[in-house]
Amino acid sequence: MRVFKPQEAQPAPEETMGVAAWIRANLFSNVPNSIATIVILGLLASVLPGLIDWLFIQANWSGNTQADCTNDNGACWVFVSAWMQQFLYGSYPTEELWRVNTGLVALILVIAAPYALPKHLRNTVGVPLFLAYPFICAALLDGRLFGLEFVSTDYWGGFSLNIFLAAASIIIAFPLSFLWALGRRSDMPFIRSVCVVLIEFFRGVPVLALFFMGSVMLPLFFPEGTNVDKLLRVWIVLILFMSGYMAEVFRGGFQAIPQGQYEAADSLGLSYWQKTLLIIFPQVIKVSMPNILATFIMLFKNTTFLLIIGIFELLSTTQTALTNSNWLGGHAPEGYIFVAVVFWVCCFGMSMISANIEKKLDTSHRN
Amino acid sequence: MLKFSSLVAAGLAVGLSFGANAGTLEDVKKRGMLSCGVSTGLAGFSQKDEKGEWSGLDVDVCKAVAAAVLGDASKVQYKPLTAKERFTALQSGEIDILSRNTTWTHTRDTSLGLNFAGVNYYDGQGFMVSKKLGVKSALELDGAAACIQAGTTTELNLADYFRANGMKYTAVTFDTSDQTRAGFESGRCDVLTSDQSQLYAIRIGLKDPDSAMVLPEVISKEPLGPVVRQGDDEWFNIAKWSLVAMIEAEFLGVDSANAADMKDNGKPAQKRLLGTEGDAGEKLGLSADWAYNIVSQVGNYGESFERNVGMGSPLKIARGINEQWNKGGFLYSPPIR
Repeated sequence: MRVFKPQEAQPAPEETMGVAAWIRANLFSNVPNSIATIVILGLLASVLPGLIDWLFIQANWSGNTQADCTNDNGACWVFVSAWMQQFLYGSYPTEELWRVNTGLVALILVIAAPYALPKHLRNTVGVPLFLAYPFICAALLDGRLFGLEFVSTDYWGGFSLNIFLAAASIIIAFPLSFLWALGRRSDMPFIRSVCVVLIEFFRGVPVLALFFMGSVMLPLFFPEGTNVDKLLRVWIVLILFMSGYMAEVFRGGFQAIPQGQYEAADSLGLSYWQKTLLIIFPQVIKVSMPNILATFIMLFKNTTFLLIIGIFELLSTTQTALTNSNWLGGHAPEGYIFVAVVFWVCCFGMSMISANIEKKLDTSHRN
Repeated sequence: MLKFSSLVAAGLAVGLSFGANAGTLEDVKKRGMLSCGVSTGLAGFSQKDEKGEWSGLDVDVCKAVAAAVLGDASKVQYKPLTAKERFTALQSGEIDILSRNTTWTHTRDTSLGLNFAGVNYYDGQGFMVSKKLGVKSALELDGAAACIQAGTTTELNLADYFRANGMKYTAVTFDTSDQTRAGFESGRCDVLTSDQSQLYAIRIGLKDPDSAMVLPEVISKEPLGPVVRQGDDEWFNIAKWSLVAMIEAEFLGVDSANAADMKDNGKPAQKRLLGTEGDAGEKLGLSADWAYNIVSQVGNYGESFERNVGMGSPLKIARGINEQWNKGGFLYSPPIR
């Protein structure tokens, strides 16, 4: 009887295996690629050693004052560590810092709640908590409502302010922009034109111009003695700016929903709001999520623009630190590298989270 | 652009002036806090430290006014302002006094609805050279390459000065003061020009500050001083005389250490200043010990100068024209009597 004898498995051809093959396939596949690889490697080789030497090897790490930066050939990270509290919290009183930390932890909890909560609690507990967060957090930082020591907004600052402003703006802008987007699609001419004007104004005017309006022009229109807090004015500007952008994101989402969905909802006899909230909204969210998160990252970075109107967020705190007469040693590279790294880490983290959310929301029938 | 914006600001200020209420003093007393506009960061003038505490020559004016009005120099709410915002903040009543290295000019004083309460620092454009050059006066700078920051009046003043003295120069322009310093340090120019107060800050930023020196010539006038709203003369007087009290205290030899002693044992002029004689405080609508509070809590002008920008600070700015009149400077305070 003849028995089928499978041949011994052969290893893959030599030239497609191992490191050398990978390098050949990816870095030196043809002449232009080879040249590009060599040029890039050459550049890295000329820049990296010096950079690493300056950043880490010769850097000054410990101490409290500029005098501790004894090695001129290395970065003075003492500058960053000495100013760390200012960079993170601004001038918020040290003994009250727990309030800022509570706010930050609460933000993480509010974001994590939809993951952790059982499904039936998400809409009844998770969403209201999310929407109430900006107000609770602002009240906590301010302190008066909870009977804590009052901390005026002049003392808020640092990176925590960037985070709070961005988070609080987007959370409030979320429902607002949804309403604007609905209004823009409405059949009622008055509502539609109001929404179009709002959206186009806040989308069309540069955010810097809006900040200037909020900080320089608005106060002149208030009657004397009624001072709306500068930070509050800026917050409102951020919310409106964000709403303008998000409304267009949502409009894109609305347009992506097939007409059949609207008609199906109508034929079931659902009211306008039932149709919008139960049928359309969930699908819009799903479609728009990548853009919403991209917009959020943009807004988060835009909070650094506040430096031009003298609010001590991270970047302007850094600039202030650079002008202190005890630190006039040209620490700008260290300061700006620190700011860049902090923002990059946060934005990259948000990109990861957004990719995760997209995956979670992806219920399409693609295979 | 500057002209236009100041016109707009002036128009708005005029439009609003009917609403201006005249009681800044009452407002400040009621609030228990002085709201003071300062710079977001200018070495030696208004700067925040790692603890978030404000200090500086301009900040000391805020403290002096708070000490005079509220009896406590720490009762100040600092409002960091950018150059563009500063006048609006004052006009709109967001701040009670602006002490933010603001140059006293005709336009600002007459058309913005503001009053300058005096001068707390006489600044002006100067020159910094490397000591290696061996130059002792700006008049020896013929043919020099000058590092300047682009788009500032510095550029115009420099051109005027060199032309007036029949000298030539090459301009090397930079965008920021950091870049200007780097340019100077790398030897791209022989001389760096900027406001004197800035020159000293730039000098410390050099790798070897002792290798450079600031020349004595000053080629423009930049009197910097605190500003208040127009139309509230009571408050204007308080701001003006708080500054005068600091300068007068130095002139009379009263400082934070001996103020308590002088109060009872001083000469008549010292006693009048410190409130044990006369009614200077009452006439201002303040308590009798208004100036005593300033001197004992903030110090006299000389102390404030040395501590913030002078020899007691890293900036090491010489008193120069900011010295008392009887020592060769411009500080000449009207007598308190």
